[in-house]
Amino acid sequence: MTAGDSGFLFTFFNPAVAKQYAPDIAAGMLVTVGVGLAVVVTGTLLGLALAVARALGRRALAWPIVAFADIMRSLPPLVVLIVLYFGLPSLGLPLSAFAVTWLSLTLVLAAYAEESIWAGIRAVPDGQLEAARSTGMRWWQAMRWVVLPQALSRAVPPLTNRIISITKNTALGSVVALNEILNNAQGASSHAGNPTPLMMAAFAYLVVFLPLVVFSRWLEQHWQRR
Amino acid sequence: MPILDISGLRKSYGATEVLRGVDLQVRAGELVCVIGPSGSGKSTMLCCCNLLETPTGGTIFANGHEVTSPLVNINRLRQEVGMVFQQFNLYPHLSALDNVALALRQVQRRSRDEAASLARAALEQVGLGGKAGSYPSELSGGQQQRVGIARAVALKPQVILFDEPTSALDPELVEDVLNVMRDLRTRGMTMLVVTHEMAFAHAAADRVVFMDGGVVVEQGTPAEVFENPREARTRSFLARYGSRLS
Repeated sequence: MTAGDSGFLFTFFNPAVAKQYAPDIAAGMLVTVGVGLAVVVTGTLLGLALAVARALGRRALAWPIVAFADIMRSLPPLVVLIVLYFGLPSLGLPLSAFAVTWLSLTLVLAAYAEESIWAGIRAVPDGQLEAARSTGMRWWQAMRWVVLPQALSRAVPPLTNRIISITKNTALGSVVALNEILNNAQGASSHAGNPTPLMMAAFAYLVVFLPLVVFSRWLEQHWQRR
Repeated sequence: MPILDISGLRKSYGATEVLRGVDLQVRAGELVCVIGPSGSGKSTMLCCCNLLETPTGGTIFANGHEVTSPLVNINRLRQEVGMVFQQFNLYPHLSALDNVALALRQVQRRSRDEAASLARAALEQVGLGGKAGSYPSELSGGQQQRVGIARAVALKPQVILFDEPTSALDPELVEDVLNVMRDLRTRGMTMLVVTHEMAFAHAAADRVVFMDGGVVVEQGTPAEVFENPREARTRSFLARYGSRLS
């Protein structure tokens, strides 16, 4: 082993540093998973609600939804985050870093989810809704049992990819000092004067998101049967 | 009292008047076939009967309830007036059984078991008892349409509207569907059928209605309409479709 090799290991994979800061990274993982789960649940549900509301076909309802989705998809998530973090307090609504990260990414995910699910709804032939209504089902029953199952199964591939790419943006929370993985790793590495915690952060992200990527692949293949 | 009583029915799309005062009655147990050229308003008239289209004028009574009243309970009406579609419109994500059972459960609020056994009986009736677990994509067009008929029949409607039920089928599959409809007639089901199957209309219908330009031009027994039409328009239409009569 050359001196250069051991210098590399000492710098990037330093066991003593790793051991010292492992609890910080682990705590960061919990926060990342917590925000991520919250964003997935609320973002997808909000997107679903918006898509269904848009499907009602009332222009007064559809127009603001389209505007919301287009604006949120145009803005970089980091900008949404910063604007909300520094803007909400002046509206008398100071939120924690956790809450602002959650809210920002929820809005961004909802915009993309609304577009994916709306595209799925549009792809279901009109005859499906007509057939369901012709048997006496109410609009929302036909939506729930006939249109949405088909729309969602079409929306799954674009939606899972989007969910993953947006939940990864929890790392942006480090900008507003949310104590998630990246923020903790940056703090630890400047405290230790050694980048090993950043390598640990990369590994932690893999632990959190790689299963999600694998799961989304499985979901795409197993939910697209009909 | 007729099961279906249509009078002065009008329907416009913007400036285009598709129905210009249609009068038509269907009595209990009758099989009435509506024939006529494309664009004559046949399908629109049918869709007005269960309010998939909203009439712009005239009245429709179904089983004594005024369909055209603003106070009508649409979802109750639609259980009494079933519909079978040209493109089948089966739910592709559900098995044949669940296609039939869905409204039994969600609309009629029957239990899972009860809905399944009623759905199974309806599938048996159209000769598809063995296909209950099959998905629409696994069925032929004729089988899909029979599931579509079972879906309507299972709700025990007072009348079933058929919108060109065999037009989307390969010729060799048409007869299966027509046989199911003949069987329904012998069981006393009231049916209003928009069709281009002249031979079926001639042989199976109790009454044939010829529509053109948004009105009923002439109606009568199949023998009257097909063999001795009074109106010139009927004659010229039948001359064009004559080859299908045999």
